[in-house]
Amino acid sequence: VFPGVRQAQWLTKTKLVEGLPPAVQGIMDNPALGLQELEERAKHMVSHARLWDTAEVAPRRERYCPMLFENLIHICRLMSGKYPSLSKRMLARNCRIAATWERESILLQVRGLSGILMNSKTPIPPVASKEEILDTKEHVLETFYPIAPTIDLQEVNVYKELNDTGFRDGYPYSHPHTLFFLESANVRTDRFRPDQLRAKMLMFAFGNALAKAKALHGNDPKVLEQPVVVQSIGTDGQLFQFMVFQLNTTDLVSNDGVKNLVWIDSDQNLYERAQCVPEVKKRVVTKPAGISGFQPDTFKKFLALYLHGTV
Amino acid sequence: MAALGARRVLRPGRRWFSETVPAAPSAPASPLYPPVVASITAKSKAAKSRRLQRFNERVHAAATVEEKLRLYGKLQRPKYMVYPQTFALNADLWYRSFTKTVLVPGMPPRTPAAKPPVATAGATSETGRAPEPRAEAPGDAEAPGAAKIPEPSAGAAPYPDIGELRSLACDALLQESFYQNKKRPFLYRDQDHTPGPFLTQLVSTLAASLSGRNPLLAASSLDLNPEVNYYWHHGKEVVVHGHRKGRVDPVRFQIDDNPHLQIRVPKQLPEVVPLESDLGDVPVIDHKPSKLPLFKKQYENKVFIGSKVADPCCYGHTQFHLLPDKLKRERFIKERLEDQIEVVYRSNGIASLFAWTAAQAMYQGFWNEADVTRPFVSQAVVTDGKYFAFFCYQLNTLALTAETIENNPRKNICWATDSKPLYDVVENGNVKGFNDEVLLRLVHFLLNRPKEL
Repeated sequence: VFPGVRQAQWLTKTKLVEGLPPAVQGIMDNPALGLQELEERAKHMVSHARLWDTAEVAPRRERYCPMLFENLIHICRLMSGKYPSLSKRMLARNCRIAATWERESILLQVRGLSGILMNSKTPIPPVASKEEILDTKEHVLETFYPIAPTIDLQEVNVYKELNDTGFRDGYPYSHPHTLFFLESANVRTDRFRPDQLRAKMLMFAFGNALAKAKALHGNDPKVLEQPVVVQSIGTDGQLFQFMVFQLNTTDLVSNDGVKNLVWIDSDQNLYERAQCVPEVKKRVVTKPAGISGFQPDTFKKFLALYLHGTV
Repeated sequence: MAALGARRVLRPGRRWFSETVPAAPSAPASPLYPPVVASITAKSKAAKSRRLQRFNERVHAAATVEEKLRLYGKLQRPKYMVYPQTFALNADLWYRSFTKTVLVPGMPPRTPAAKPPVATAGATSETGRAPEPRAEAPGDAEAPGAAKIPEPSAGAAPYPDIGELRSLACDALLQESFYQNKKRPFLYRDQDHTPGPFLTQLVSTLAASLSGRNPLLAASSLDLNPEVNYYWHHGKEVVVHGHRKGRVDPVRFQIDDNPHLQIRVPKQLPEVVPLESDLGDVPVIDHKPSKLPLFKKQYENKVFIGSKVADPCCYGHTQFHLLPDKLKRERFIKERLEDQIEVVYRSNGIASLFAWTAAQAMYQGFWNEADVTRPFVSQAVVTDGKYFAFFCYQLNTLALTAETIENNPRKNICWATDSKPLYDVVENGNVKGFNDEVLLRLVHFLLNRPKEL
């Protein structure tokens, strides 16, 4: 009906900031990382996922989307040769999340398979300073009168108000670090549109953060001393959406007070097009085979979000 | 002609056979008649060999590797499908005879330079690893043992800490089997529930943490669930039925394999033994391959290492195979076929590695008429989640067809270990009975690299 992120913002009591937070920008601009050589490798990985992976002529999205993600994560993981503390991370696939909260007398919950989650042993330090958090008190949440904010949400009878991080107690990698969402359906109508994907990312990041906060500080709604930060990256194989979410408060019933913060960088193209077979019109090659329009910045953001928290 | 001869006789003083030495016959620039060769289209053995020769010339003259592969697998005929993961009895004997492979139990000895020592609690575990029964000169076994103390002075970086790697492995295991809340496994899909994700996690985290020590890993490419195919001819048979009945045909094989995980690298692994070494015998089997049982089908002849020829990471490093539920140990024990358990691991290792190394060789332009000039080496780990078996394969020859195999003394070699458990049991968030030896071997596999690096 209307862009999903605005609805998600109201539901999670969040203030939106465009662009990535300065901490992440700082990692990107850090020259010690040696990002130039990595660009070459990233380009190879994109070519591998989009062109070379299969014995057929061209791989399908169901294959190249996860393959591209795996390749990029592989490059990021190999950085742990330089930064040994990166090895304190663990990927978990098909993890289930459950979080419940009340929002102006409406009970909401997030449940289900939340894509691929990367956990780490140490939490990400809060991205926004204390002043920024207190500033959010003045921010007024957008309402959609006369449309109820719970439009398009499924109404379900729940018998248990469940808050579950998806892992048992005593799990050493207990802090959710980044969530990855891969839109890999072949048919375009089965995939989420970029805006819907951003809303989904926001809801699941919030769900993970809330479940973690309740596990750490208990079920009482309050303003958190140590905000919980969860990142999220969503892609359909070409467009990337980056998001950093900071949970400042679990007091979500009222519309006033401290709000949560989210930084969104949307619609970043990793490359323009990937031709498997050169396109020839009237005996002239119009589009040569290969990857064209590779944007190294998108990969740098991916890597920066991966390294955030340890570098 | 008679009249000519008669005229010659009549002429006095000249005998017909003492012709003047013909002045150097103006050597004709080109022969007057075309060379006499067998026909191309006749139904004769000479014609068949001429057709074969023309095909070989066409493949030799192909400009690119893709063109060569296309021509090599152009003709489709019914062929045996060889499955690396099979329940057939004594399959590894048959597979060795199809691929001309010698099986050497135990791991090959490593030269000190290529094997950096790992810091362990006691040095005894290292010496315990090296000597294993092998068909090689015993001198080799001692040399590495003596010269192995090595590297502490040379290496600036500290050794990989086995404690840290052990904790990584245990964490991966615990996460998959204990900590993560998962639903119950689907029927007969136990392997996808726990051992599959565990293997993926283990390999990716170990490879990442060891990449600082092995620059080859830092440039590697990790494939999840790739496809590896290879097509070859070996031996001769007579076509039994159909419109081609009675003709002599090569026996065609195709391997279509899906390893769980594979690591490809841009530089080749170093050779283990020289190209012409002879470490044992290849088993000879008198029966037709269909007695194994092996079945024929006709479909596309694919040669594929996991990615296309254009990929710079065109050499193989390590493959990881996961045995499916159908081939689990308990099933063999219940049917009283305990000795076949090892056969399953071995046949998987031999077949998969042969297909991979041979496909790598074909990507470099070698084929059965143009045999390899350098050996191709790859490694593999076959596991069912708990028991691990390690394999190292060296491809010395691709010439396995009936014509090329006669004068070919080279054999392919496969080093294999028995399957050993990595841990005993996982209980309440603890891994009991963790076996460091298996982990060490896995680490050494991942650290394998060419001597220059």
